[in-house]
Amino acid sequence: MKYRKKLLLTNSFQTEKVPNLGNTPLIDELKSNQIRDFLEQGKRIDGRAFDEPRSISIEIGVIPKAEGSARVRLGNTEVITGIKVQPDRPFPDLGDKGIFICTAEILPLAHPTAEPGPPQEDVIELARVVDRGIRESGMIDLSKLVLVKDKSVIGIFADNSVIDHDGNLFDACAYSSTAAILSTKIPKWEMQDDVPVKIEDQESDAPITTIPVSVTMGRIGKHIIVDPNMDEWLCLDARITITTNSDGNICALQKGGKDGFTLDQLTKCGETSTSVGAKIREIIKQTKETGQ
Amino acid sequence: MDNAKRKYVIPGDVITTAPFRPEQNVILDGKKIIATVVGTSEIYDDSVRVIPLAGKYSPKVNDLIIGKVVSHSSLSWELDINSCYVGFLPAQDVFGRDFSAHADELTSKLKKGDLVVARIANSDRSRDPLLTVSDRELGKIESGELVKISPSKVPRLIGKRGTMIQTIEMATNAIITIGQNGWIVVSCENRNGLLKAIKAIRMVDKQAHIANLTDRVKLMLESSGE
Amino acid sequence: MGGRDTDLVLLDENGIRCDGRKIDEPRRIMIKAGVLKNADGSAYIEFGDNKILAGVFGPRDVHPKHIADTDTGILRCRYHMSPFSVTERKSPAPSRREIEISKVLKEALQPAVMLEQFPRTVVDVFLEVLQADGGSRCAALDAASVALADAGIPMRDMVSSIAAGKVADTIILDVNNEEDQAGQADMPVGYMPNLEKITLVQLDGILTQDEYKKCLETAIGGCKLVYEIQKKALTDKFFSNGESA
Repeated sequence: MKYRKKLLLTNSFQTEKVPNLGNTPLIDELKSNQIRDFLEQGKRIDGRAFDEPRSISIEIGVIPKAEGSARVRLGNTEVITGIKVQPDRPFPDLGDKGIFICTAEILPLAHPTAEPGPPQEDVIELARVVDRGIRESGMIDLSKLVLVKDKSVIGIFADNSVIDHDGNLFDACAYSSTAAILSTKIPKWEMQDDVPVKIEDQESDAPITTIPVSVTMGRIGKHIIVDPNMDEWLCLDARITITTNSDGNICALQKGGKDGFTLDQLTKCGETSTSVGAKIREIIKQTKETGQ
Repeated sequence: MDNAKRKYVIPGDVITTAPFRPEQNVILDGKKIIATVVGTSEIYDDSVRVIPLAGKYSPKVNDLIIGKVVSHSSLSWELDINSCYVGFLPAQDVFGRDFSAHADELTSKLKKGDLVVARIANSDRSRDPLLTVSDRELGKIESGELVKISPSKVPRLIGKRGTMIQTIEMATNAIITIGQNGWIVVSCENRNGLLKAIKAIRMVDKQAHIANLTDRVKLMLESSGE
Repeated sequence: MGGRDTDLVLLDENGIRCDGRKIDEPRRIMIKAGVLKNADGSAYIEFGDNKILAGVFGPRDVHPKHIADTDTGILRCRYHMSPFSVTERKSPAPSRREIEISKVLKEALQPAVMLEQFPRTVVDVFLEVLQADGGSRCAALDAASVALADAGIPMRDMVSSIAAGKVADTIILDVNNEEDQAGQADMPVGYMPNLEKITLVQLDGILTQDEYKKCLETAIGGCKLVYEIQKKALTDKFFSNGESA
């Protein structure tokens, strides 16, 4: 029997001190050229128009034990979001506001190159962009989530788990978080001896003021496309995610990618995000009504 | 082949306890011959095997495959060939006998992301499979669309004596290069022909185990698709 | 663990448990194979209120290279609970409990997966608990086996898993959350049904020698029931719309 010393290490994913070689998905040149050729002809490889997002399907209440939840399919990208609502201490300077925190994780089962372990910079950016889109829109009226000013408030945690990665996680996570928040029921807490105690069966809807919708656009050469799939994502020169609220005003945006945009391009993106966003907002609103 | 006994199996299923020869994807446990993968078991000529319905490509010498360059050292390229192992293409195979690691830059011939048609030159358990492109029909793929299917469906895509693939090529005027590893390159001057050919290939991938597939593919190709 | 005072009746005079089940009745189990697009193999299970996703990659190249074994493939398993999977939100970082369960599940699968056929590679099994109920490790193991078969990775046998336990001095099959908290014993078991080998067994609680044997037998009987459901999941995906010879 050979002495298998090595097996002691094999279940640990935390030993990754070696930089990952060739771990980012690699697009083959054939596909990359094809994408560019098609764009020159005014087409996309999956037949969509430049300003057309993939098919969106939203299901809410998929995790019944959580206070809110949703599962979104954006093309082949799939995200599940769970909302946990629980009492918490307020932030030091914000004693009159509840807490909203958004996280994201690309689960290792979502893509062959996804790895378990603490989130890398791209996942941290993803979480913070989704968080800002919702927070800056004022979607949740945090002032209505106070139990005792400066002492005890209600915290809403939106945790996004990406389970299948086919590009544009920004929008998929944003739609999933938004739909989940819309479906969230806030339990009722009463202070008893300075401690919040949950009163069963007295939930209410979350205090919602607007429905933020993010639209991510990518630039390949001089063409701008909405909701890039994974193949397109790997060819992008630059990308921008713009979040608009129900009034059509822009409340958050983030540019990413190794190259830049012209002023004209950015202006056009702003307009596109409002028009495309409005259509997606209707889809999200319908989910709240019908559950799907 | 039709007097073989066939049955759907999952891992752990006992196919038979008769004293037959265990072949691919089965193991012998005492008297029991047990399936190790999801697939169709076949008893034929006193031997037992399972034809898998899922799984990666298992390299065999001389197989024609399509691979994608993922990295290189100064002496060889590494290719993703849809197997558990990366394939190695030695620089000498492309540059020739007088290849010099100092003088010849690998990326001048093949770089990361390129697709290549190659043959398996050598494959044993102790080393990663060795590839070769030193034949006329082998080398870098300059154009075409890559379609990926399960390697277990490749025989079905080729068909008895090539009937299935010929049917598709003739109906669409497409040129289809089938890698035994399940990667397939389709080229066609006509966009509609290209889409139809890809649709036919995906149909075979999904319905390989259903009878009368050739007829149904023919029907689909003859209809004036979208 | 072990008989906390509770006003919950775990077993009434008619032999009915707190959720209406009989003593040898498992909760509702549903398994679907091939639910993810990117993973090489996948499965989704609902086991009582457990909702668990399993994704498998491999056999594939190992990084970092120094943990590869030249004689055999290796198996890695990650059992992880989503922050929203439990009543009080859980931090996304792996807890000691998750790390232990990851190891135990890996060792439950190792006897089944034929790793020696793929030296220098790794098979990665990722299990994500989206909603947790009692017996999540058993449910995760059930999904993992189906995902491995879905990926076409050769296995000597499936691995089926369920927990047996003791409440009110009675051996029961499939311990739910309340029974786990307030009952007298909880024994998760993983079993290879054709090779008749137990590859996972743990125990929380106190059992006499007789009870111990009965618990194992009850769990094994339950594993055989689960096996039929795993088989159905694979049959539905691979063999439906087809002729069976």
